[in-house]
Amino acid sequence: MPTLDDERFEAYLKQFRPLAPEPLPTVGTSHRAWRTFVLGAWATAAVAILVIGALTLHIRTNRARVTETIGNVGNLEHLKDDQPLTIRRANALMARAPSFKAMVDEMAFRSQNIPLPKGKRSAVAVLGKEKIKL
Amino acid sequence: MHRTDGNTAEIEFLYRQHGPALLLFAQAVTGERCRAQDAVHQVFLKLIEKGSLNRVVDKKAYLFACVRNAALNEGKLRDRNAPLDPDSAWFSAPDRDYAGEQNLRRALGALPNDQRQVMVLHIWGELTFSQISDLLDVSSNTVASRYRYALAKLRDSMFAKENSCANS
Repeated sequence: MPTLDDERFEAYLKQFRPLAPEPLPTVGTSHRAWRTFVLGAWATAAVAILVIGALTLHIRTNRARVTETIGNVGNLEHLKDDQPLTIRRANALMARAPSFKAMVDEMAFRSQNIPLPKGKRSAVAVLGKEKIKL
Repeated sequence: MHRTDGNTAEIEFLYRQHGPALLLFAQAVTGERCRAQDAVHQVFLKLIEKGSLNRVVDKKAYLFACVRNAALNEGKLRDRNAPLDPDSAWFSAPDRDYAGEQNLRRALGALPNDQRQVMVLHIWGELTFSQISDLLDVSSNTVASRYRYALAKLRDSMFAKENSCANS
C-alpha cells in the first residue's frame, strides 16, 4: 500500500464508520408510556364521573317532572270528577291509587252521573241492560 | 425544567446522529465497549430525564464533553489505564475490509490516550480544533500538535502492519 498524504489518509480513515451504539434502554419510553397511561386513566375517570353525574341529574329531573305531572293530573281528576273515563285519566288513577285493585274499584264503582253529550249513550249502560243468556 | 416530547425527540435525533462517534470516543477514553456504551447511555438518559439542551449553543461539542466526563467519572471507580479491548470491533469495515478495521483499531489503541482522543474527535466526531481545545481544556496549538503526531503514528503503524503482512 503506497504512503498517502494527510488529506487522502484522512479520507481513507473516514471510510471506516464507527459502529452505532445499542438503542437506549426503554426506561424513558416506558416512563413516557406509563405517564400517558396514567393521564389517560385520569381522563377516562373524569369523563365517566361527568357522564354519571349528568345521567343522575337527568333521571332526577325527569322523576320530579313525572311526579309533578301525576300530581297535577290527580288534582285535575279530583276537580273534574264528572268527566268521562279516558286512558289518561285511568293512568292518573293508577298512579295515585295505593294498589291496582283499589284503582279498578274506583273506576268500577264511581258515580255514573256523568252527563253524556246529546245523542250519545253509555256503552256500559247499554250492556248493563242487555240480558245475556249463557 | 420539565421534560417535553419535543426535547425528547430532539435528544433521540441527536443520539441517532452522533451516537456512533460518541460511542467511538467513549471507547477511545475507556478502552472497553461496554463501559463506553454505559457512558453514552448515561449521558442521553440524563438528558431525556432533564431535557435541558435548549440553552446549549454547540450541542455536538456539549455531547462529546458529557460523554468524556461520564467515561472519566466511571473510570475513576475502576482502573483508568485499562488496556483497550482488542476483540470487539469499533468500526464497520468498508468493502468488508475486516483486516483493515482490525489494523486501524490496533493502531488507534497503540496511540497515547490524549492523541487518540484528539484523533477520534477530529476525524469521526468532526469537531474543529477549536471545539476540541474547549472540550479538552487545552490550547488549539496543542490540539493541532497532538493531531499531527497521531496522524503520523497511525499512518506509520497501519502501513507497517500492512507491509509486514504483505511480506509475510
